[in-house]
Amino acid sequence: MAVQSTETVGGARPVDRTTPPWRERLVPWVFRAPLIFMVIFFALPMAMTVVFSVFERTMFWMEPGFTLFSYENFFFSARLTNFLNSMKYSLISVAICFVFGFPIAVFVRKSIPQVAQHRVVLLFILPFMVSEIIRVFALRPVLQRNGLVNTTLMDLGIIDEPITALLYTHTGVVIGEVLSFLPFIVFSGFLAMEAVPKYIFEVCDDLGVGPWRRFKDVILPLAAPGIFAGSVFIFVNGLGVALLPNILGGAGAVNAGLIATQAITALDFPLAMAVSAIMMATLMTLLWIGHRLFDLTKILTPLS
Amino acid sequence: MNQAEFNRRTFMALMGATAASGAFGTAARAQEALKLWAPGIAKVGAQDWSDMESQAGISINAIAKSARADESIQKMVVGDGNALYDAMTDNGGGMEDALASQGAIAELDISRIPNWANILESYQEGGDSADTIRHDGKVYAVPYISNADSLAFNHEVIGEELTSWEALFDSQFRGRAAMQNDFGPTLTNTAIYLKQSGKGDIDNPSDMTEDEVRQTCEFLIDLKKKGHFRTFWDGVQNGADLLSSEEVLVSSCWEVIQIFAARKNGQDIRYGTMKEGHQSWNNIVMLTRGGQERGMEEAFYSLANVYLSPWFGAQTLAGLGFTPQMTGVSEFVEANGDMFDDDTKAIMAERLERKQARRAVAGNSWQNVFPTNIRAYQDWWSRVQAA
Repeated sequence: MAVQSTETVGGARPVDRTTPPWRERLVPWVFRAPLIFMVIFFALPMAMTVVFSVFERTMFWMEPGFTLFSYENFFFSARLTNFLNSMKYSLISVAICFVFGFPIAVFVRKSIPQVAQHRVVLLFILPFMVSEIIRVFALRPVLQRNGLVNTTLMDLGIIDEPITALLYTHTGVVIGEVLSFLPFIVFSGFLAMEAVPKYIFEVCDDLGVGPWRRFKDVILPLAAPGIFAGSVFIFVNGLGVALLPNILGGAGAVNAGLIATQAITALDFPLAMAVSAIMMATLMTLLWIGHRLFDLTKILTPLS
Repeated sequence: MNQAEFNRRTFMALMGATAASGAFGTAARAQEALKLWAPGIAKVGAQDWSDMESQAGISINAIAKSARADESIQKMVVGDGNALYDAMTDNGGGMEDALASQGAIAELDISRIPNWANILESYQEGGDSADTIRHDGKVYAVPYISNADSLAFNHEVIGEELTSWEALFDSQFRGRAAMQNDFGPTLTNTAIYLKQSGKGDIDNPSDMTEDEVRQTCEFLIDLKKKGHFRTFWDGVQNGADLLSSEEVLVSSCWEVIQIFAARKNGQDIRYGTMKEGHQSWNNIVMLTRGGQERGMEEAFYSLANVYLSPWFGAQTLAGLGFTPQMTGVSEFVEANGDMFDDDTKAIMAERLERKQARRAVAGNSWQNVFPTNIRAYQDWWSRVQAA
């Protein structure tokens, strides 16, 4: 308990010991800052998205009101089919990324000297130094009818006719997603593999455990939270990044991000908000399921 | 010096300083670059805007713009377009009405554009195209290019001249056809075909009723579900790439796309004249309300004057294939023989001839990118996109 002083020093003003210095007063706010940040930049925009989604649409904008027309517009139209399709193809992308990316993470963790591991993983950041739009556009001359892939396959005599399914189709979007998001499964897989002690590999070798059983019964359960986190990241991007279906998808491949973009193009802002709200709900549900299954707090365990 | 004198002197000095800084500010503003929101097709000459700048005697800060009308409305009516741009371009025949009615663009004083005397007669009051630059009878825009859009096709592969929109929807080109990712031109072109072929009950393809929009979009949705369209193109580069890479063999597109596609690999990609008619359009340049408030009128009028000069008209015809919006182009070409070689002159003459042929077809429609039933256009177009 502070004691109020009435003493003076050299005639100076009495020191009020009940008032803590400004630094001390600031400390609680420093700890509250992340919470305030999350409320202002995360919770509030999310709440506004839901509120705007039930507003009435006007010619150029929207006005306060309550209507579920945007949700009806979404659930009782081809948009729902497109949304479900984009979920399906995003899952395919996740699976392909896992098949290609996770072994890389395991390899780095198991076979690369520890001092070099982080540097090797950082190499996967390099593609991100090129603008995504350029990376995606660059795929067109590779995948198109007379592009690099088709020309090479035809020159080698493997195919007679160009494969047209590589571009302006769902396949094109999946190829784009895998190339764009593969590093994320490598990063999260690498982090997840930090939960797997290196001696586990030696123990497995000593016990004569085969690679498949080692992967299924040892690595996968230990690395599951990290793998799930990386998969969710790829899945959500597959649903939401409009750039990929826009450039590689053609007339039929539409994801949730593109549906929202198209709604904005039609100046239907409540519909765009409704699509965003549905995406958020999907993500939240996924994270909740993931947390129940894998306890996502474990992702940070090796670092703590 | 007493207090009163000090105050007076101080006040006078402050006034002088304010006036001086104001004059300096005006001079600085006068030299400020005109922030022009426009697509690349709004310039001729050098790859950058330097030729346009030297002709107009101003600096131009060009900001790339797509051809989508909704983007203009979003930026200028809902967004911060007036804070960002001094001048902008868009399609005439609707956008100037939409933007002027929302106070997003400023009325123009045509007496400040000397080359207004050159403008095509159709833009004069009472002319066929007069409404495309006016709102409530007042001039709000200056036209700089126009055309009648048609079908581009790969003659090398198809082996015959296409003269009907039927080809675009024909099952022999399933998966090898494309249209523009914009409800304005795509629905108008489709409606022209449906009307003229008797497959649809459509009165005015440019400004359809809700039921006519539904008919047109249901026709496209049916084709889309059958996998008829490879994709819907956005922008010149995308449209040209689709044709030159042979991803598509037929595409309803702007003439500049056909020119670029043919030029890219030297393929025989042609631009036909459709017997059912075409969609005519023009592009206009407008002074934004923000530009006017920032004192950029003088710079705008200088640029507008260039857009109505035969120098611009001749070059946009030669390089991009657009129709000049002013008289005196032929005289300019003749008087400046060193600017255009004989081949270019022949191409220009041939293009003008084909344009006249397209314009002469009965059934041509004027593009109205801001139709009466715009909500129906937007809603049905989003269904086409989502189908």
